[in-house]
Amino acid sequence: MIEVQNLTKRYGTFVALDSISFSARQGEILGFLGPNGAGKTTTMRILTGYMPPTEGSAQVAGYDVFDDSLEVRRHVGYLPETVPLYRDMTVRGYLDFLARLRDVPQRKARIDEVLARVGMTDRARSLIRSLSKGMRQRVGLAQAIVHNPDVLILDEPTIGLDPHQVQDVRALIRELGQTRTVMISTHILSEAEQMCDRIVIIDRGRIVAEDTPEQLRARLHRSGRLFVRVGGRAGQNAGQLLGGVPGVTGVEPHADGYLISARPRTDVRAALAAAVVGHGLELLELRPWALTLEEIFLEVTTALDHEPVAGERRHA
Amino acid sequence: MRNVRIVAQRELAQYFLSPIAYMVAFAILLLTGFLFNSDLGQRAGRLPPDGTAVLGVFGFFTVFFAPLITMRLFAEEAREGTLELMLTMPVRDGDVVLGKFLGAWAYYSIILGLTLVYQVIWLSITTFKAYQLSPELDIGPVISSYLGIWLFGGAALAVGLLFSAITENQVVAGFLSIATLFILWLGDFAGLVVQNRVIAQVIRALSLQAHYSTSFLIGVIRFEDVVFFIGLIVVMLFITTRLLESRRWR
Repeated sequence: MIEVQNLTKRYGTFVALDSISFSARQGEILGFLGPNGAGKTTTMRILTGYMPPTEGSAQVAGYDVFDDSLEVRRHVGYLPETVPLYRDMTVRGYLDFLARLRDVPQRKARIDEVLARVGMTDRARSLIRSLSKGMRQRVGLAQAIVHNPDVLILDEPTIGLDPHQVQDVRALIRELGQTRTVMISTHILSEAEQMCDRIVIIDRGRIVAEDTPEQLRARLHRSGRLFVRVGGRAGQNAGQLLGGVPGVTGVEPHADGYLISARPRTDVRAALAAAVVGHGLELLELRPWALTLEEIFLEVTTALDHEPVAGERRHA
Repeated sequence: MRNVRIVAQRELAQYFLSPIAYMVAFAILLLTGFLFNSDLGQRAGRLPPDGTAVLGVFGFFTVFFAPLITMRLFAEEAREGTLELMLTMPVRDGDVVLGKFLGAWAYYSIILGLTLVYQVIWLSITTFKAYQLSPELDIGPVISSYLGIWLFGGAALAVGLLFSAITENQVVAGFLSIATLFILWLGDFAGLVVQNRVIAQVIRALSLQAHYSTSFLIGVIRFEDVVFFIGLIVVMLFITTRLLESRRWR
């Protein structure tokens, strides 16, 4: 449904996208993560036919974004980062205008259906200018799905919503993603983790990692690392105590505990537990150390000359 | 053309949702009404009625209020982010430009139509014998003047639309449009003071006033004047479309 090959976008000498490639199939929710200025919005704008790429190709719903731009636009629902609303129009009037431009059949019934899905039925006659930010966001989402598109491209779709609305919108996106291709950009990593089938991390115009949330975590889970939290009057001694356990190669203070590195294929958990308890201390926590998605994100987007992670796609 | 019609209908409706439309209509009717009243007072019973007196001034007003109508058309959409929405709709850029222009022109036509009340008054006091105060109204120049001012308004709106697509600031768009239209309006006088005959002719040929006041307003419909205004509209809309397309490449 979305097929991007060596996509490059330059603004003068500035390279906003540097030969990125990725794909998303039908029934998949693709998360697009990256810091500000990474190239997320540029990618989305190219995929929606708003601007052409400098080099490379992109196909959406089987149509080339440059050669068949109008067809692409017919099959895509797009919610830009700044929700595009005509503030002097009513919610229904706004959706009706866009549905007419998109030639939606049985317009009135479809608009009723979409309003119900985003929970705005009771505000259909309200002027958009009188709506709260969360409601405006939902109206923006309604316009993106009013024509029942094959591909949905949503730039920060839950921004500005209250927690209940966030849950509702996430549920809606998950539902929409069952039969369509959905691409969302977000800064909320837990959101990507919860909603997306696959995540692409982009930084400075390059894709630095791409995989499922589980695989990303698993592959960045450092073998042999454990997190240990010790209670009682351990003080500085706990670090020395843990470092002296056979098989332990490194101890690094982390948060309110320690990250323990061990020799490959060596299980030091029992020895660590015995050492702590044997010295009269309390063992509060002992678990394998896995990076959260947030830590993965920071790791792959802050290192200038980072090591490629498993599943990573590098494009020079 | 379907998309053009949809965009035009929304733009026309939008004018009546904002106070500026009513303010412009109020100001135009107040000024022209005042002019008509004083003209009527001077002529009644003494001079032949002149239905074009108000329309002559309406042309000058158009230089100032046409930009008020057009300044928001693209500038506001760019600022509010709705232009990105429009440009990702399955609609050609040219359709968006033409739709917005026709919406604005329709609104202009409605305001122009309001001035027909003055012609009705003239006709009622010159045609109905019982109340006849003056000779009958010469309807020919009135019809040609309405055609001329309508085309003139379209050209002025097209110029305003172009400047609205240049900047995201409505005030800047309005100011640049007024300045340009004012220069084009005064081109008639500039042609008179320039010594070089060829340059003077070129300047005068580009003057809005020369194509309106000395032809349509006196009951003459010249082919070249019609072509001038329609040509100006086409060129301005073409450049505006190209400007809009250039946003995609920036």
